Amino acid sequence: MRACNASSRRSLLILAFGLLILLVASLTQAQDGGAAITDDQVNAIARQMFCPVCENEPLDVCMTAACIRWREDIRGQLAAGRTESQIIADFVARYGERASATPLDPTLRGLSVYVPWLIAGALLLGGVGVFWRWRSTQRHVPTAPPADHPPVEAADEAAYRATLERDLKD
Amino acid sequence: MLAEVGLAALALAFGAATYAVIAALWGALRHREAFIISARNAALLVFPLTLGASLALLIALMTAQYQIAYVWQVTNPNTPDFYRFTALWGSQSGSLLFWNLLMSGFSFVALLINWNSNRRLMPWFIVYTMAVSAFFLGLSLLLENPFARIWIMPDGSVAQTVFIPAGAEGPSAVRLAATARGLNPLLRHFGMIIHPPLLYLGFVSFVIPFAFAMSALASGDLSTNWIKAARRWALIAWLFLSLGLLLGGRWAYDVLGWGGYWGWDPVENAAFIPWLIGTAFLHSVMIQEKRGMLKVWNMFLIIFTFSAVIFGTFATRSGLIDSVHSFAQSSIGGAMFLFWAAVTLVSVGLTLWRWNRGELRSEHGFAGLASRETLFVLNNVVFVALALAIFWGSFGAPILSELVFNTDISLGASYFTQVTAPLFAAMYILMGIAPLSAWGAGSAKRLGRAMVVPFGLTLIALLLIGIAGTRGGGALFAYGIVMLSGFVALYEIGRSGAARARATGENIVQATIALFGRNRRRYGGFIVHLGITVIGLGVIGSTLFQAETQQTLRPGEALQFQDYSMTFQGIDAGQIAEDGRFMDIANLTLARNGAQVASLRPRHDIYPSTEGQQGMTMIIPGSYSTLENDFYVLFVAGQADGSATFKVYINPLINLIWWGGLILIVGTLISAWPAESAPASVRERRRAKPTAAGVVA
Repeated sequence: MRACNASSRRSLLILAFGLLILLVASLTQAQDGGAAITDDQVNAIARQMFCPVCENEPLDVCMTAACIRWREDIRGQLAAGRTESQIIADFVARYGERASATPLDPTLRGLSVYVPWLIAGALLLGGVGVFWRWRSTQRHVPTAPPADHPPVEAADEAAYRATLERDLKD
Repeated sequence: MLAEVGLAALALAFGAATYAVIAALWGALRHREAFIISARNAALLVFPLTLGASLALLIALMTAQYQIAYVWQVTNPNTPDFYRFTALWGSQSGSLLFWNLLMSGFSFVALLINWNSNRRLMPWFIVYTMAVSAFFLGLSLLLENPFARIWIMPDGSVAQTVFIPAGAEGPSAVRLAATARGLNPLLRHFGMIIHPPLLYLGFVSFVIPFAFAMSALASGDLSTNWIKAARRWALIAWLFLSLGLLLGGRWAYDVLGWGGYWGWDPVENAAFIPWLIGTAFLHSVMIQEKRGMLKVWNMFLIIFTFSAVIFGTFATRSGLIDSVHSFAQSSIGGAMFLFWAAVTLVSVGLTLWRWNRGELRSEHGFAGLASRETLFVLNNVVFVALALAIFWGSFGAPILSELVFNTDISLGASYFTQVTAPLFAAMYILMGIAPLSAWGAGSAKRLGRAMVVPFGLTLIALLLIGIAGTRGGGALFAYGIVMLSGFVALYEIGRSGAARARATGENIVQATIALFGRNRRRYGGFIVHLGITVIGLGVIGSTLFQAETQQTLRPGEALQFQDYSMTFQGIDAGQIAEDGRFMDIANLTLARNGAQVASLRPRHDIYPSTEGQQGMTMIIPGSYSTLENDFYVLFVAGQADGSATFKVYINPLINLIWWGGLILIVGTLISAWPAESAPASVRERRRAKPTAAGVVA
């Protein structure tokens, strides 16, 4: 019975010691994790956000007190293990879409980022349409250069000189 | 007294401009020469009167007349004379007067130069230039008067009015001097002396080509007369705008302390958009001159260039950029918006009316996809697409979001780089191909043959860049297309010089110089292309390969970054500069590959708060420049234990941007330089003289 008690006491001690080591190790790990957040990591996220005070000033370069607080907030969130997108989403939730350099709301994101491509596509299609229409309406207009501007197809010296001469006539 | 003189001159200038518009309009519509002459005389008076008003304000600034509210706002007894002078454009009402001075100066010179040579266009030219001047002079006179004075009202309150209110009296000179605010610290930099005037020059000088275009539409003289009159002015405007943009970038790099030169800020973009459309116009107008094509397109381009100038001015001065709602609250926002809308709608309406009457029909059709006019049109589409994309990101999306969704958004640099990069790539590709194509006719085969040499040179250069250690397909592609455009410019200069040398027996240098003299616009254009190439290389290097780090150092500690080692020596705190600002200066030594190369002193400039004005701290960088890269360091913050935090950037090839800018200036000056104006008899003789080979003439 005594041997059993001694054995269980020893087991308890080993367990307690093990837990202590685990606790110390995890505390050290947590502290290390906090200290390991560098300014560069903070700035990498801050670069994708805007200063809450100055218009259109990226957060990573702004030196106002508000921006310094925000960067420390980012550092804290990084230390707590949050990801880049979670941190930006948190700022947007608290301060609005203006906090982010690219809107997170899908509608606003679509409006801002995809609309230029849609406009460009429409312009391109419109341009191609106008070009073909123009070509068809211009068929009756002379397409050859004027009389003093002979067409140049050959790449020899004389042809190049003729082309150059046309270019030089201002 | 100075306030009264300035006010009187301003009011007279406004009156003269308004009269000139009415008299020129009446004279043009009724064909009454006397009215047109009278309008011209009134128009010529506007510049001296505006100069008088500006001189009155300048003297008030230099002699510290603090009762004038503008002088009190932008200077104080500590302001050096140098900044008293630049304070003329240091705030809204002064810069508006300065804007008027430049615009009236351009109109004055253009009117004198073109009065005899473009007689038919001149009445309408007066109408347009003076209408624009009258609007801006009216803003200065009625809404943003720089001669308003400070008064103490009978109830002890302070008022700023042009005329003395009943019972009011002037405050004591001592009190005014003690409370005067001084120039915004951001503007106390050498770049700020030159940057705003150049940008204003670029903006206002576009009024001249715009007015010529509108004169052509209004008068019905739709020949190339307006283009011949306008093209040099457009080039001058473009040069000033380019210089303004470049110096603005340099100022941002030196003063704003964020490691870069272009932040895609709406204010920067507002100046870049007219530059892009103006560049499209400069190319497109050649097609109309050479081939009689794109008459409507050219009208639209010059209209939208000027419209973008007015919009950019409106957006930056009205508060629109802060919030879509704030412009209505600004004193000039509503008026400027209406003016911008009116100018754009009337001009577009006039163009459509002439188009509808069939007066802007092309004289030739497109000859083929490889012809120069087709490639120029594609290049135009790219420039306009760039302008639209940048407009959308800077103004379109934020305004729409605020109006429709009641949500403030701002788009960061990532939007602009993502959207504009492919368009810039297309621009460089077209810049590389178009100069080798021919007007009117061209085949892909011939174009391909002409591309062999520049393409080969590009491949060799890329190989060398790869051997030097540059990696990444995207970067090499970007370097490749940019270098191709530069090699094409060099190749074309060399090829034409060689062709002339073979034909005349001159050596190639003489032959090339002679060709430059024969068509400055063409060869100046190639030099501009070279400048844009060098700028492009700088932008790619400093954007794709910029490296940065931020670290806190104790005195004596060193930061290792790439092949640099920066050692922190300590801080000189509380230094006092001549203009009263405090400075905390960090002392650093910089070594590269073990050898000391520089001592750097990044600092904080601290402007203490004064009555009615908040204090401001500016972070001024220290930098060590080589052609290869810039080591750029910011003193972020000092700690109580003597340590300090530094942010370091290494910006590869960034100096190529400034060197490219210089090349661009030289090229534009060559292009814009007036040709020798020989007497008509001499020109006749020259024309009659036969030449051995066309190209050598």
